[in-house]
Amino acid sequence: MARRGAGLASRAWATATALIVTVGLAACGGGTGPSANVTSLRVLDYYNNEPDRTVYARMLDACGQQNGVKIEREIVPGANLIAKVLQQASSRTLPDVLMLDNPDLQQIAATGALSPISDFGLSTDGYAEGVVSASTYQGQVFGLQPVTNTIGLFYNETMLAQAGVTPPRTWDELKAAAAKLTSGSRYGVAFSAPANYEGTWQFLPFMWSNGGDEKNLASPEVAQALQLWVDLVNSGSASRSVLNWTQADVNEQFMAGNAAMMVNGPWQFPLLNKTANLKYAVVPIPAPRAGATVVAPLGGETWTIPRTGDKGRQAKAAKIVECLNSDANQLSLGKQRTTVPTKTGLRNQFAAEVPEMKAFTEAVQTARARTGELGADWPKAATKIYTAVQTALTGGATPEQALRQAQNG
Amino acid sequence: MASRARARRSWASTVTGVLLLAVMLFPVYWMANVSLQPSGSAVQTPWFPVRLSFAGYGVALSQQGGHLLTSLLVAAGSVAFSLLVATPAAYALAHFRLRGSTAMLFGILISQMIPGIVVANALYSAYNDLGLLNSIPGLILADSTAGIPFAILILRAFLGAIPTEVVEAARVDGAGQIRAFVSIVLPMSRNALITAALFTFLFTWSDFLFALTLTTTEDVRPVTLGLYQYIGTYVNDWSSVMATAVLASIPAVVLLLVAQRYVTAGVTGGAVK
Amino acid sequence: MADTHGRGGVTTYRPSNGVARAAAAGPAWWSARRRERLLRLAFLLPAVAYLLAFFGYPVAQNVVMAFQHYTTATFYTGEAPWVGLANYAAVVGSPVFAKALLNTALFTLGSIAGQFVIGLAIAVFFRRQFPLSRVLRSLLLLPWLVPLIVSGAVWRWILDQDNGVLNRFLGALHLVDRPGWLTSTSLALIAVILVNIWIGIPFNTTILYGGLQDIPEELYEAAAMDGATGWRAFRYVTWPLLRPVVNVVLVLGVVYTIKVLDIILGLTGGGPANATQTIATQSYQLSFQQFDFGQGAALGNILIVISLVFALFYLRASRGAVRG
Repeated sequence: MARRGAGLASRAWATATALIVTVGLAACGGGTGPSANVTSLRVLDYYNNEPDRTVYARMLDACGQQNGVKIEREIVPGANLIAKVLQQASSRTLPDVLMLDNPDLQQIAATGALSPISDFGLSTDGYAEGVVSASTYQGQVFGLQPVTNTIGLFYNETMLAQAGVTPPRTWDELKAAAAKLTSGSRYGVAFSAPANYEGTWQFLPFMWSNGGDEKNLASPEVAQALQLWVDLVNSGSASRSVLNWTQADVNEQFMAGNAAMMVNGPWQFPLLNKTANLKYAVVPIPAPRAGATVVAPLGGETWTIPRTGDKGRQAKAAKIVECLNSDANQLSLGKQRTTVPTKTGLRNQFAAEVPEMKAFTEAVQTARARTGELGADWPKAATKIYTAVQTALTGGATPEQALRQAQNG
Repeated sequence: MASRARARRSWASTVTGVLLLAVMLFPVYWMANVSLQPSGSAVQTPWFPVRLSFAGYGVALSQQGGHLLTSLLVAAGSVAFSLLVATPAAYALAHFRLRGSTAMLFGILISQMIPGIVVANALYSAYNDLGLLNSIPGLILADSTAGIPFAILILRAFLGAIPTEVVEAARVDGAGQIRAFVSIVLPMSRNALITAALFTFLFTWSDFLFALTLTTTEDVRPVTLGLYQYIGTYVNDWSSVMATAVLASIPAVVLLLVAQRYVTAGVTGGAVK
Repeated sequence: MADTHGRGGVTTYRPSNGVARAAAAGPAWWSARRRERLLRLAFLLPAVAYLLAFFGYPVAQNVVMAFQHYTTATFYTGEAPWVGLANYAAVVGSPVFAKALLNTALFTLGSIAGQFVIGLAIAVFFRRQFPLSRVLRSLLLLPWLVPLIVSGAVWRWILDQDNGVLNRFLGALHLVDRPGWLTSTSLALIAVILVNIWIGIPFNTTILYGGLQDIPEELYEAAAMDGATGWRAFRYVTWPLLRPVVNVVLVLGVVYTIKVLDIILGLTGGGPANATQTIATQSYQLSFQQFDFGQGAALGNILIVISLVFALFYLRASRGAVRG
């Protein structure tokens, strides 16, 4: 650890020198304080592919211009963001503005590397409750999330019409519809249940809507939800390959006509719209019984302000975060990225302007954050969930046994 | 008569070789197949790319050209550096009875067992302090962590086969250690050097971890990292990914073809006589 | 070995002739023998310096991390309380450990056996001269060249139960009915081993081919005159001379295979239901999915200890190879 100590010392020295020079210049030049001398900000995110990459490039540059800073952006692939953040944390080179996937925020906030947004006068008034709870750690809010998404049930209108099936609203209807739609090489429904957090993400709406809780997995509510999936696979309505498919794979199966219905999210709209001869629509994920509330998980990324030790830079960074979350930008992001703005006041306007997002806009109202209850302990629970799902779907144990094994293991 | 039989046997071997390659390379063929598909989807890919689409290649060529060059520079530099450092060491370990040779071999083997991410994390801090991030020399040095230990081990195995008497004969004639090494040993170990160079090149060419960790901007970006531009968190553009992978293989294959020309038989054999 | 000076029987072996002459010429305090020793060390110096600089700290840190409670907070604050053997106890006591250990053993042994045998067979095959052999030999390296994320994706499509080409092919031959290669707990490990063998064959083939090329043709001719051809030639000529190269290929094979991560994660993520979970993948998941770096490092060190056992075998086997 001696090397890291040396790095800290030299960096502290460099920062001190920079501050002295900055203050000196400000005094001489008569600027309006330290923020006048911040000319560029570093941003780290994982929007590495189109269209997100360009969407955010333009938006960050525009926000930067408004606030008089140049944006230096570092982009990494999604799976490698946390490793990068940790490397930068240990060498004290965290960026000025850091984007995090919302379930990771509590982990990073627990390290002490982030500043509460209230330090800079930002607040979460008017934001959806679930979104705020994801960005909250020990009572303080550490990030602002402009847009969110969730998952719903996509269905192929042509196939359902041909089979005389209406879009299912309850679990029983789902099983019946899927069975009726399965024929030849076509499966009735497709979802994603691989051995990673994507599998957990897809299972959550079924688990939560039935009253299940991640704090205690070995409960009948969760077991019933898992039984639904097991029944779908065992009856042949869903392919056994769900154990290996990512959400992207599921989408490709749907586009190719190998699945009549699929559980997926609005980020697939661009690809689906490009597919010829595909008429699809979206309904909320079926509820356990008629009239029950569907509780879906909240997705999306939140923007945070790491402690870089430079108050001027942090204040500027806060301005950028605020700019990204402005009403206009939330609506713009929502439209360009087919996601839902997080300010409740914008919902109606958004639903009117983008009708194809209707099902998701509604679902987000009752959606829940993954780290809402367990906070930084969520990763362990998430691993238990997908382990249990995999065990049950491979026939290794009954849902109750699988959940109990996972809970205790 | 005998020569015609031999020629027939040769062509039979070629056919066997081609069949063997067809089986081994089927996934690579599939990769090329997907790269030529119009939709970028991999599900309904037919056996042959009947409907060709070069969209993936268009994207790959326009965006990855610079990255390919960076990869080439880093790989070439790494080969040169690794061989420069590893060859004398391998020779010393093979032929000199030095105390601590075993310890060093042990150390080299242990270095191969460390997970790459641990090395990458340590290097990030150090590079950050030294200002080596986003630099080609920095990447060359880092990627040699795969090449140097490997090259030492391989070269030591090959160089061990060179009989000491040959070197001693040169020493008796007045040549110094270094001269003997350069003029006698190196030419005799051509196969070994080329094999070691090949793999050092391949390790560096396919490195992703250091490319990701030790760069923060697009200035110096090897193609393994550039590939990820088309692999998003939610959506993948497979035809561009595959097209980039195909394009990235081409310079490597060309270099391999050239290098394999020099791996010939009997380089060491004649010296003993 | 043959007499180098052709003087009928007696080999005059005088390693210090040149040194003696230098000693007569140079300054007395810096003896020629000393200079000789220093020069020999100088051959090793760049490599030693490089290895210490680039691996010294990581190796030490990896060992120490396993004894600490190392979390994401540690990266920022630097605090990592000492927990002694608690991490080791936790990982060894976890229900996944036994399965991961078994899978690691099966995966490593299966991969090495397959890669080595097939690689050696192909290398021997390519010893013959035939048209296009050089092109074919170079193309054979392509599996090694393809980025792992791409290989993983391609193999996932090939092995897909419903639409994958392998099942389409097997179905056309009416051999088996659509096995779930990556989704069945009994087949997943086999599938992953086969893909790893595919990736590793070029490595083995190329190195073994280089080694085969260094065996003088005259030895085969001499053996043929004694009546040893084909399999006997392989056993009495090829194999003994190839041993040093075989040793290094095997030990490196074990060391690399035991920590294979990307291909397993890319194909199955350790699933289904831990059927392909190895110690390496479990270590990665503990560190980067559950953020318990201390436990991840503990598993990593267990892997290193296992590799060390093989390394010791290698060192003992190769000690005889040092000449001089």
